[in-house]
Amino acid sequence: MPNFAILPYRLSANLNLDNFTSNVLQTATMLPRLRGLASQIATQTRLFSQTPTTPAKNLPPRLKINDADLTISYLKGTGPGGQKINKTNSACQISHKPSGVVIKCQATRSRAQNEKIARSLLADRVEALLKGDQSRVAIKAEAARKKKASKLKKTRRKYRELEGKEGDADGNGKVMVEEEIPEGEGEVGVQGKEEKEVEVETRIVEESKRSGKGV
Amino acid sequence: MPRIPFSMILKAHQENHLLPLLLKECRTIDSARNELRWLREQAVRDSKSLSRSRSGWRTRLRSMCQLRSRGYPLQYILGDQPFGDLEILCKKGVLIPRPETESYTYQAAKLVRQMALDSSDKSRPPSNARPLRVIDLCTGTGCIPLLLHALLAPHFQKLSITGIDISPLALSLAQKNLEHNLQLGQLTSRASTDIHFHRGNVLGNGSDDSILSIDSILQPYYLESGSSLADQTGGCDLLISNPPYISQSEFGNGTTARSVRLFEPKMALVPPSLVTGDEHGRPEDIFYHRILALALKLRAKITVLECGDIVQAKRVVALSETLASMESGQFSAEVWPSCERDLLENGFHATDGSRGVIIRRLP
Repeated sequence: MPNFAILPYRLSANLNLDNFTSNVLQTATMLPRLRGLASQIATQTRLFSQTPTTPAKNLPPRLKINDADLTISYLKGTGPGGQKINKTNSACQISHKPSGVVIKCQATRSRAQNEKIARSLLADRVEALLKGDQSRVAIKAEAARKKKASKLKKTRRKYRELEGKEGDADGNGKVMVEEEIPEGEGEVGVQGKEEKEVEVETRIVEESKRSGKGV
Repeated sequence: MPRIPFSMILKAHQENHLLPLLLKECRTIDSARNELRWLREQAVRDSKSLSRSRSGWRTRLRSMCQLRSRGYPLQYILGDQPFGDLEILCKKGVLIPRPETESYTYQAAKLVRQMALDSSDKSRPPSNARPLRVIDLCTGTGCIPLLLHALLAPHFQKLSITGIDISPLALSLAQKNLEHNLQLGQLTSRASTDIHFHRGNVLGNGSDDSILSIDSILQPYYLESGSSLADQTGGCDLLISNPPYISQSEFGNGTTARSVRLFEPKMALVPPSLVTGDEHGRPEDIFYHRILALALKLRAKITVLECGDIVQAKRVVALSETLASMESGQFSAEVWPSCERDLLENGFHATDGSRGVIIRRLP
C-alpha cells in the first residue's frame, strides 16, 4: 500500500535533497525516540516511521487442543437440504468435552472459515479457564489497556501544552489556571495529581523549546 | 410455511429497519441479522470500489434487501459463495453450490487418498503411473473439480480432472471460477492444465443434436471389456456427480424452497422427462441410470453421487447393485452419511435432507 502522506516529502526530497536530509537528521537527533533510526533515515526514502523499534514481548504459545476432545457440528437447517433449499447459514459449533466450553461461530458464510475462527476462540477460552491471568488473552488485554492508558495520558499532556502556549500568546493563561483551580478544590488527591502533571508539563515545554531552537 | 409472529417482526424492526425485509426470506432473526451484516459489508465495499457511484451504500443496501425479501438468492446478490477454502462465483442461470456438496467432495477426496495409500502399499511406486483421473458430471459452477484439485494436488503429482456440463453459461462460469481461484491463490498454478471443462450432454445419444454426447468426450477413457491392464491408459479413479434429482411433484409442492424454485435454473434441479424414459423407472432418477452405466464403462474405482433424500439414495444403491450383478467384479454401495457422527459433523439433517451414495469397486 503506498502511503500518500509521504508523497509530498518525497517530492521535496527530490527537489532539494541536501538541505532536506540534513534538516531531517537534525530533527531526528532532537527527538530521542527517533535517534536510533537516524542512520536508516539517511538511506531510506520512507522517513517518518512512527513504529516503535522495540519488539513486543513474546506471548506464551497457543494452547494446543486435542482434536479427540472436540465435537464439531454444523448447524443443520430445518427441512430438506441439498438442491431443494438454499441455506445461507453455515454456523459452526465446537464443544470441548473436558472443560465444557461451547463456541458457536457464524461470522462468515464459509464453513471452513467459521470453524477456524471457532477453534481459535475455543483455544483462547480454554486457556483463559486454565491459566487465568497468565493466558494469552489476559496478557493481550493487559497490554492493550496499558497502551490505551499511555495514549490517553499523551493526549492529555499535549492539550495541556497547547493551552499553555495559547496562554503565553494572548495572556489568557492566568484566567484558565484560575478556572481550573476551583474545580480541583476540596479534593486533596486531585490537587496532588495536578502538581504531578504540571511537573511533567514543564519538562516538556523545555524539550519543545530546545527542539524549536534546533529547527 | 408458518407465518412469522408479529412480535418477531416488531423486534426485528426495533433493531434495524431493514431486518423485517430479510426476515421474509430468512424466517429467523438470527439468520436475518447475519445476512444483513454480509449485505452491508458488500454494499460498503461496492460503494468504495465504484468511487463515483451515484448513490451511497445505504441506498444500495436497501435495494439489496428488497431483492432478498423477494427470495432472490443471497449468493446471486453478493456474487459468490464459499466452498471449502475456495470462493466460487455465482451468477443467475447456474446452480449455487450447496454445503452438502462440499461435504461429499471432502469425503470423496478422503476416499481417493485412502485408496491411493492402500494401492501404493501393495505394488508399484506412484510416480510413473498414469495421472489420477477424476470426472465430474453436471459440474455447474465447477465447484467440485476445483475443490478436488485443491484437496488432491498436494498428494498426487499427476492429476487430470474433467468437468462436464450441458450449459454454456455454466461452463464459462466454471472457467472463470478456475481463473478467479488461481488469482486468489487458493489453487496451485497446475490447476489450469490439470482441470478441463467440456460441454456435453450426459443424457444424449450423440446422434440427434449439436451438443456432444458424453460418449464422444469420454471415448479415450473407455476400456474394452477384455483388456486386463485396467490402469494403463483408460479408466477413471473417481466419478462424481451432483445431477438434477428433484421430481416434478417435489418441485411444485413446496418441498423445494421458493428462492430455489423461482431463481435457480430448473435445468439443474429437475431432470428432463424423456419420452422414452419409461424403462428407467422414476423420471427423477434418470441421471443415475445413465451415470451408473457410465461408471461401469469407465471402470470407476469410486463413484460418488448426490441424492435428494434417503429414499432416493436407497433406490440408487439398489439400482447400482442390479447393474453390478451383470458385470464382473465386486462392488460395495452405501449411503453416506449414515452414522450419527458423520451426519452431525457434516451438518446433515438426522432424518430428512440430502444423502450421498458411494460405490466402490473392490479390488
